[in-house]
Amino acid sequence: MKATWEKTEKNQGVLTVEVEPEKLDKALDQAFRKVVKKVSVPGFRKGKVPRPIFEKRFGVESLYQDALDILLPEVYPEAVDEAGIEPVDRPEIDVEQLEKGQPFVFKAIVTVKPEVKLGEYKGLEVPEKDFSVSAEDVDAELKRMQERQGQLVAVEDGKAENKDRVIIDFEGFIDGEPFEGGKAERYTLELGSGQFIPGFEDQVVGMGVGEEKDVVVTFPEEYHAEELAGKEATFKVKLHEIKRLELPELDDEFAQDVSEFDTLDELKQDIENKLKESKKQEEENYRRNTLVEKAAENAEIDLPEVMIENEIDHMMGHFEQQLRMQGLTLDQYAQFTGQEKEALREQFKEDAEKKVRANLVLEKIAEEENIEVTDAEVDEEIKKLAEQMDRDEKEVRRLLEAQGGLEQVKNELRTRKTIDLLVSNSKNAA
Amino acid sequence: MKDPRDIIRRPLVTEKSTDLMEEKKYVFEVDKRANKTEIKQAVEQIFGVKVAKVNTINVKGKKKRFGRYQGFTSNRKKAIVQLTDDSKSIEIFEA
Repeated sequence: MKATWEKTEKNQGVLTVEVEPEKLDKALDQAFRKVVKKVSVPGFRKGKVPRPIFEKRFGVESLYQDALDILLPEVYPEAVDEAGIEPVDRPEIDVEQLEKGQPFVFKAIVTVKPEVKLGEYKGLEVPEKDFSVSAEDVDAELKRMQERQGQLVAVEDGKAENKDRVIIDFEGFIDGEPFEGGKAERYTLELGSGQFIPGFEDQVVGMGVGEEKDVVVTFPEEYHAEELAGKEATFKVKLHEIKRLELPELDDEFAQDVSEFDTLDELKQDIENKLKESKKQEEENYRRNTLVEKAAENAEIDLPEVMIENEIDHMMGHFEQQLRMQGLTLDQYAQFTGQEKEALREQFKEDAEKKVRANLVLEKIAEEENIEVTDAEVDEEIKKLAEQMDRDEKEVRRLLEAQGGLEQVKNELRTRKTIDLLVSNSKNAA
Repeated sequence: MKDPRDIIRRPLVTEKSTDLMEEKKYVFEVDKRANKTEIKQAVEQIFGVKVAKVNTINVKGKKKRFGRYQGFTSNRKKAIVQLTDDSKSIEIFEA
């Protein structure tokens, strides 16, 4: 086999491949064996038609398409290898010559990985960002714990306040007419949650138990029910119950209830430590991401459109999967948000482009810096994975090997090491 | 003499007949009234080959029923023609 690579555009080229006639013959034989099972010729049982008879009846040409289907997947990767190119998309294949006994020649128009011209990637600066843990952060966390521990207590007399949970009946009228969906009984509403149309909850504030009141609100212009949007409505509201969240005292007892600590101070300390830990992680992530982004920005790449499109496809697929876990299809989502699929794609585009750039740049840096991943490192990673999944190490390895995931682990490790290099070479390294 | 092309009706191409070609035997459907000698001469004339011997079989028509009508397919005569070893072979074009 002979393969010649000729660059036509920046990221595109024509790969001309010549395959020996013997190989073509073999493919034709295979094609014949496949096709013969399906044709019927009078005088012969299915699949028993001899080759000469078949060829006289249908012509050799009828085998070409099938032979191509067999030959191309076999020859194309080989040709790509020989030419030493890295295609990013499916090739467009043009058959130049296909004839029995002659060499088989085809041309493939291929988009290849773009050349990456690295810019500055060492000594990059990460803008400072505050990742310290303040006393307020701790208090806020404490407050959240407090609210989780709080109990709803019915308020007998007194007025409804913001954040209270009230149980109400309501019926809405527009121009004196009740409308659909405007009525409910014993509905539990958290005031200030913004669940109802603006203004409604505010007007409930201040009502007492058993009180009845007319609440007048205007539906927002962009309300989802068109016949209601922009209309003024009067709701007859009757308040049944007020429930207020009673917060437990912040003291040692509270600490004992929510944690294994004996005193509040210990709990506070623990919260602070945990927050610090997560902030540290955050900072690490921030640092890594920024560095990669910068290195990507500094590099010069002519990104082929297909690579971005492929990445978008990938992201869309991922997104769709996430939706499905929530029991939604992509179409439904598009309907809810009023967004076309195309608009979604457009949204993904920027991220996709960034991601592809970053990957290409990291790859190039890894190459430039001779970053290699040893088998020992892979073993280490598998061990970690096994621990995470609570599985046997050997089992994990077998699983990975079966799915070709070993290569993936390797790639991931290499990426990580490359970023490590970026980090340790950055200006304000931690 | 009759036209050789009236004697040899058509070649029979079947699994069995293709197998027989290996032994230089060719199978034809021939006129019911033709005898072995006539067949031999006809084949030699048409294809320009040498015939060693001819075997013939009379095939009776089969009872076929089409709805309520009953009929027969026509009677046929098959001839298996053995060529001599040094003769050239016959290319059968019609499939």
